Amino acid sequence: MRVTERPVDSGVPTGGGKRRRPGAGPVLWGSIALFAVMFALLTQQLSASQTPAPRPVLVRKVLKRRVITTFVPTPGRASVSTSGSPAPAAEPAQYAPITTAAS
Amino acid sequence: MAEHDLTFRAMGSHVRVLVGEPGPGMAPAAAAAEQAQRFVAEFDATLSRFKPDSELCALNADPRERVPASELLRTAFRAGLAAAEQSAGLVDPTLVGEIESAGYVESRADMAGEPLAVALAEAPPRRPARANPSSRWRRIEVDDENGAIARPPGVRFDTGGTGKGLAADLIANRLRGYSRFVVDCGGDIRIGGPDALVRPYEVLVEHPLSGARAFVLKLGSGAVATSGLNVRIWRDEDGRYAHHLLDPASGRPAWTGLIGATALGDTAVEAETSAKAALLSGPDGARAVLAERGGLIVHDSGRVEAVGPLSARPRIRLPDTSSTGALA
Repeated sequence: MRVTERPVDSGVPTGGGKRRRPGAGPVLWGSIALFAVMFALLTQQLSASQTPAPRPVLVRKVLKRRVITTFVPTPGRASVSTSGSPAPAAEPAQYAPITTAAS
Repeated sequence: MAEHDLTFRAMGSHVRVLVGEPGPGMAPAAAAAEQAQRFVAEFDATLSRFKPDSELCALNADPRERVPASELLRTAFRAGLAAAEQSAGLVDPTLVGEIESAGYVESRADMAGEPLAVALAEAPPRRPARANPSSRWRRIEVDDENGAIARPPGVRFDTGGTGKGLAADLIANRLRGYSRFVVDCGGDIRIGGPDALVRPYEVLVEHPLSGARAFVLKLGSGAVATSGLNVRIWRDEDGRYAHHLLDPASGRPAWTGLIGATALGDTAVEAETSAKAALLSGPDGARAVLAERGGLIVHDSGRVEAVGPLSARPRIRLPDTSSTGALA
């Protein structure tokens, strides 16, 4: 009976085929090199690409209605309400404008 | 509700009367307006400095110290003296000799004036006007009991500084009882009537340089008046530009840095006095003059500045959501 002895694969490196784990230095330097390469590549891509067209500006027109009220008149005192230009909406006058000016 | 609207020329200017519905037993609005027109004619005939046969001219030429005077003339004197008192002598009614020396001897209502912008470029350095230390107006006495006016002989009186305002006030007194009314004597405006409180009148303030609308007021009662340099500018005998608003201290036309002032008041005389005092005081003084009742000043540059209550932001009622929106 011929018996062939075959090593049992225990999953553990054995004898002259034993692989060594890489040192921390090469891993570190390799990572840095890979990062530098990727960074350079991305930078080149960004700089090579054209400036994107500006997005259209959305103009919003805000409408506000201002209602200017008459001051409550005090007996014996002039009652007045005021506005700068533009004037508040007034009820349609049935006569020509009343104007104060030097004369 | 229609209002009767009558405009005519008088006192070297326009006069306008708007009259609403009459009260019980009162004359129709048209009759009231025509009565106002007749009153203004009488007022002008009595008080004009440019009519040699006016009662004012007769009094100014009278050598007596105490001179009989009509009720209207005494009223005009009282208004002029009240203006001097209110303005601490800036609106001085005794500068007749000075205004004549400056070249304003006869009415300039129908004369073409010089352009204000050119006059401003050649005007002397700006400075506020000051009251005359002699205060001649303080020596004038109105004697209603005896129907007379007393003043040192030679002191002449000019009702022009308060005349239009007084006319507006006196007409306004006659229009009490009408639902609403406006009396506009050359831009010195008096407003009244219960309906005007409910539906105020819109009064436009004219810009003295451009003639455009400078401001809008809504008046339900009281008065507003404007004083300005944009009318009646002329060259005097020495070729200098002159106008009708004098510095009482110097007796010369005042160049204060302001070309216009608009003032509010309870009466047109009060508003007219405030407007003149503000203009004569220059920008800083004008802000003080107009601080309480409010008004506008127009600088030499044309800039319009609201003062006092007019400078406050109008009260704004917050709009409801349906009236406010954003549109993309």
